[in-house]
Amino acid sequence: MTDTEKYWNPILETLPQEKLRQLQLKKFQGIFKWAYDNSPFYHNLYRDAGIEPGDIKTLDDIRKVPKVKKADLRAIQGKEPYPYGSILAVPLEQVTEYRQTSGTTGQPVYHPETWQDWEWSAESWAYILYAHTFRDYDRVYLPFGYSMFIAFWAGHYAAEKIGCEVVPGGVLDTEARLLKIRELKATALMATPTYVLGMADTARNKLGIDPAKDLNVRKISVAGEPGGSIPATRKRMEEAWGAKVYDSAGATEIGHWGYECEAQCGLHTNDAFHLVEIEDIETGETITEPGRKGSMIVSTFDRLAHPCIRFDSKDVIEWSPIEKCECGRTFRLLHGGIIGRADDIKKVKGVLLAPGAIEEVVRAIPQLGDEYEIEVTKKGDTDNITLRVELLPEHEAKIDAVREDLVRELRLTTGLRYDLEFRKYGTLPRYDTKAKRFKDLRK
Amino acid sequence: MTSKNINMKKIAQKIASLKQEANEIKAMSGGIQAVDRNIDRILAGIKMLEINISDLVEILPDK
Repeated sequence: MTDTEKYWNPILETLPQEKLRQLQLKKFQGIFKWAYDNSPFYHNLYRDAGIEPGDIKTLDDIRKVPKVKKADLRAIQGKEPYPYGSILAVPLEQVTEYRQTSGTTGQPVYHPETWQDWEWSAESWAYILYAHTFRDYDRVYLPFGYSMFIAFWAGHYAAEKIGCEVVPGGVLDTEARLLKIRELKATALMATPTYVLGMADTARNKLGIDPAKDLNVRKISVAGEPGGSIPATRKRMEEAWGAKVYDSAGATEIGHWGYECEAQCGLHTNDAFHLVEIEDIETGETITEPGRKGSMIVSTFDRLAHPCIRFDSKDVIEWSPIEKCECGRTFRLLHGGIIGRADDIKKVKGVLLAPGAIEEVVRAIPQLGDEYEIEVTKKGDTDNITLRVELLPEHEAKIDAVREDLVRELRLTTGLRYDLEFRKYGTLPRYDTKAKRFKDLRK
Repeated sequence: MTSKNINMKKIAQKIASLKQEANEIKAMSGGIQAVDRNIDRILAGIKMLEINISDLVEILPDK
């Protein structure tokens, strides 16, 4: 295979590390100056912090730049220039696209894009889908609602850019989408892990279709939740569809910043479009070595209307010990994808609990369904964790053995004790996009 | 096809010419929206070429 067949941009994706860092510094300086000169919000933030464009001379200098939180973005919006407020760095008439965040963590953040920004989003996604082996001979089905939430919008345009034939699933329900996938012999999908599993469940139980045997989908690009990098969840998706599943990660405010390659040994950070930093959640210390988890701070290059500079994403990640990926890309690697959200990783009974660890246990037990729910409550001074799962109908007689397995694996993986509730199959909530399976009711 | 022997500087020069041509067409349009808006889209595409090629010329002087 030649390098042009393997990479979307063989020059950029295999740049020596020191050249990449040089490029990132130049790009950071560019977007910092743009925001300083054009966005009143950023100008005031940096003026108050006593930092100017000329002060950023090295990558280390970037750490002096104040971080921005989602709460800051929410506080700005709703004011002039309406509705984006003082962060807007272009004249309002240059905004051609409105999108917003999913609202999973509160009031959605409004996101403006110029035509160039929109093109940028598709371009950064093209790197991802090409690494996920999407090619011009693929017929790509997108089973999402095409609403204001950014979701897979840029993925749609990236697939077009690559030359794929793109089929928008739009407002069809899950059954109609599956029938269309079968009718058109779609070869590729983009969806959240939750929906990939949910579609397979509907196919088997409502339509009598086995996606692995009866459909032609052989590659699936997932995003929106950590599941794509959770081995047990990935295994379930791959077995259900008979397809290769590739993970990627992004957010409305920052674009799609990370992706797996064919080697699948972690997420590559999209270093040509973003600068990813990791900070200790408690101390804020910068983490540069592998094996230490921290919160992701991300800066987006070349995106003009709504610059996102040192955004505290709350995604928990860690650098990989692998220095050179076998795919040949030099973009840095993360170990295990997104481990969770800093907001979701709670201290329960004095122990840090990541919901992803529970998902890994639940989905590794074949007698259990895909859905689960975690609820943390307080009884007196004691934290209590309830885990609700569904036993597959054909395994109902094995409930005691499954309970025993679950208790043991949860204790080994998380070191915690749970109240287990077995629910009738099909009764826990199902989700089309981002799932809300973790509920902390202690407040 | 391979990227090994491409002349990035020459491609970057062509990209710069494309950009200049596009801006010149816009300046000549007399404000015809059917011209200006389509040029804006072309310029957005040219920006992606700059990201992919032109921005690298400075850090890869031998390529």
